[in-house]
Amino acid sequence: MANGRAVLEFHDVSKVYTTGAVDVWALRDITLSVQEREVISIMGPSGAGKTTFLTIAGALMRPTSGRVIGSGADATALDERRLPRLRQEKIGFIFQNFNLLDALTALQNVQLVMATRGIAGRGAEARVHALLGAVGMEHRQGNLPKMLSGGEKQRVAIARALANNPDLILADEPTANLDSKRGREIMELLRMVAKELGKTVITVSHDLRIRDLADRVLWLEDGHLQEIAAGEHLPGEFSR
Amino acid sequence: MLSLVTRQNLLAEKTRFAISVGGIALSVFLISFLLSLYQGWKLNVGRFVERVEADVWVAREGTSDFIAAASILPNDMQGELEALDGVRRVDPVVVRPMRFEETNANASTHLVGYDTESGVGGPVRWTKGKEVPGPGEAIIDATYGRVAGVSMGDTLRFGGRELEVAGVSTGGDFVFSQTTFVTLDEARSLLGMADLTTFYLVQLEDGADVDAFTSSVEDAFPGVVALTSDEFADTTRNRVMASVVPILIVILFLAFVVGVAITGLTIYNATVEKAREFGILKAIGFTNGYLYRLVLEQSLVTGLLGFAIGVGLTVLGSRFASDFVPQFVTLVRWQDLTLVLGATLLMSVIAALLPVRRIAGVDPVMVFNT
Repeated sequence: MANGRAVLEFHDVSKVYTTGAVDVWALRDITLSVQEREVISIMGPSGAGKTTFLTIAGALMRPTSGRVIGSGADATALDERRLPRLRQEKIGFIFQNFNLLDALTALQNVQLVMATRGIAGRGAEARVHALLGAVGMEHRQGNLPKMLSGGEKQRVAIARALANNPDLILADEPTANLDSKRGREIMELLRMVAKELGKTVITVSHDLRIRDLADRVLWLEDGHLQEIAAGEHLPGEFSR
Repeated sequence: MLSLVTRQNLLAEKTRFAISVGGIALSVFLISFLLSLYQGWKLNVGRFVERVEADVWVAREGTSDFIAAASILPNDMQGELEALDGVRRVDPVVVRPMRFEETNANASTHLVGYDTESGVGGPVRWTKGKEVPGPGEAIIDATYGRVAGVSMGDTLRFGGRELEVAGVSTGGDFVFSQTTFVTLDEARSLLGMADLTTFYLVQLEDGADVDAFTSSVEDAFPGVVALTSDEFADTTRNRVMASVVPILIVILFLAFVVGVAITGLTIYNATVEKAREFGILKAIGFTNGYLYRLVLEQSLVTGLLGFAIGVGLTVLGSRFASDFVPQFVTLVRWQDLTLVLGATLLMSVIAALLPVRRIAGVDPVMVFNT
C-alpha cells in the first residue's frame, strides 16, 4: 500500500437491495482505505457488486449502513443537494462506454465539466489543451466522438475526468471495449495519472491482462471484499 | 457552456427543432395577427364617427350607436335645435343599414344621406371619382366596393331605384358593413323618409359646455338622446368589437394552447431521448438545477426563434391581408408584439416545466455498465 493521505475510506459499508421480501446484499461490512497516488483494481464476477461499490464511492448512491469518507468529507453525512458538488470537485468518472456527449467535440466535452464549476476563459482553455495533450489527444480536440476510435474516446474521457483536478478517479471497466493493446495503453495512462499527477485511481474491471498495472487488486464477491496478494490466483472460476 | 450544449442539442435533431420552432411561429403568427386585426378594427370602426364634424349626435332615445342607426327624428326638430343656446350649426343625416340588390350576399352597407353643401356627415377621405355625390349617384367605401364586387360606373339597385357609383372613399368601414354616401334628398326618397331624419349632427360655439348642452337637449326634447361625439364613437366601436372579442379570445387561447402543446411535446420528447446524456451530466456533477436550466434554454431558444418567424409572418401577412379579405384591416403595434413576446416566453417556460419530473427522476447510476 502506498503511504500518503487517505483519499477514500469505507467504514463498515453495506448495501442491501430489497426486492419484495428478498434482501440482496451487494456489499457487506466493507472497510477499506485508499491512499493518494494508489491504483486499485477491483475485480469479481458479474453481479458481485462492483458497480454498487463504484457508485457508492462516487457519491452517486448512499450505502444502507456504514460511512464513506472522501477527501476528508463524510459523503454519507452530506445533504443530497451537496453531493453533485462533491462529485464536481473531488471525483472524476471514466465509463465503460466512454459516455462522451455526442454533440460536443473532444475539447468541448472536457470544457463542459469545467463549466460545472464556472471555470471558463483563457485559463480554462489552456488547461483543456494541456489535459488533451497529456492524454495524447490535442490533435483530435476538434473532432466529435463519432470520429474517434474507442481508445481515443477513452483518452478524452480521462482528460474529462481530470478537468476539475479531482483527488479520485473512478473507472468502470475502462478497457472493456478496447483491444488488449489499447486497453493496456489506457491502463498505463491511468497509472501515469496516479503516479505523476498525484491522483488516486480505482478501476472496476474483468480484464486480467491489466492486473499487473494496479498497486492493489481487490476481489469482490457476494458482497465481501478481499485483497489479493501479488502473484496470488484470483478465486474461483474467474481466475482461470 | 450550457449555451453550447443547448445549441448542439437543438441542432442534433433538426427536423424536430424545425417542427418545434414552426409550432411556436404558427402560434405567434395567429396570436399577433389576431391582435393586429383587433387593433385595426378598433381603430377603423370608430373613425367615421370621430371624423364627422359634430360635437354632439342627437338621436331617438334607445339609440346607442351608429351601426344600429335605430333612430327616427322629425325634420322640424332641426330648427328647434338650432335655436338652442351655444349652437353654431345643425346638420341632418339619414342613415340606414341595407343591402343593394345583385351584390354579394355578405355585402352590407350603411346608406348615409348627408347635406352635400355643408359636407357634414360625408365621406372621410375621397380616393377616386367624384368627391360629392349628385342626384342618382353614390360614393361607396373602397372596402364595400371589394366586398360587394362593385366599382366606379357600376349601378346599385334598390326597390326599383338605381344609383350610379360615382366615387370611392375610405374611412367608413365598420367590418361587417361599410358606408355608401348619397345626397340627403336621395336617401330620404330612397328610404321613404321624406319628413324624417336619423341623426342631427350639432356643432357648438367655441367654449360651449358640451355636457350641459346634451343635458339641455334631453330636457327640451323628451324621448331624445344627445351623445358627445366621443361617446357615440365609443358605443359604435363597442357594438362591433363586442361581437368580435369573444371569438378572438377563444382563438387566441387556442393558439396559445397549440403553441404550448407543440413546444412542450417536442421538448419533452427531446428530454426523454436525452435521458442518458442527462444521466452522464448528473454523474459528472451537474445538478438538477443546471439541467432544468439547460431544458429551459432549449425551450427559450425555440420560443424566441419561433417568435421572430411568427412576427415576420405577421408583418408580411398584415401587409397583404386586405388583398385577400377586404375587411381585414390590421394594425401591428409594438405594444401588442411585446405582449406576444411575453406569451411566447410563458409558452417556453410551461413547455420546459413539463419534463422537470422526468429530469429529476434520471438516475445517474444508469450510465454505469451500459
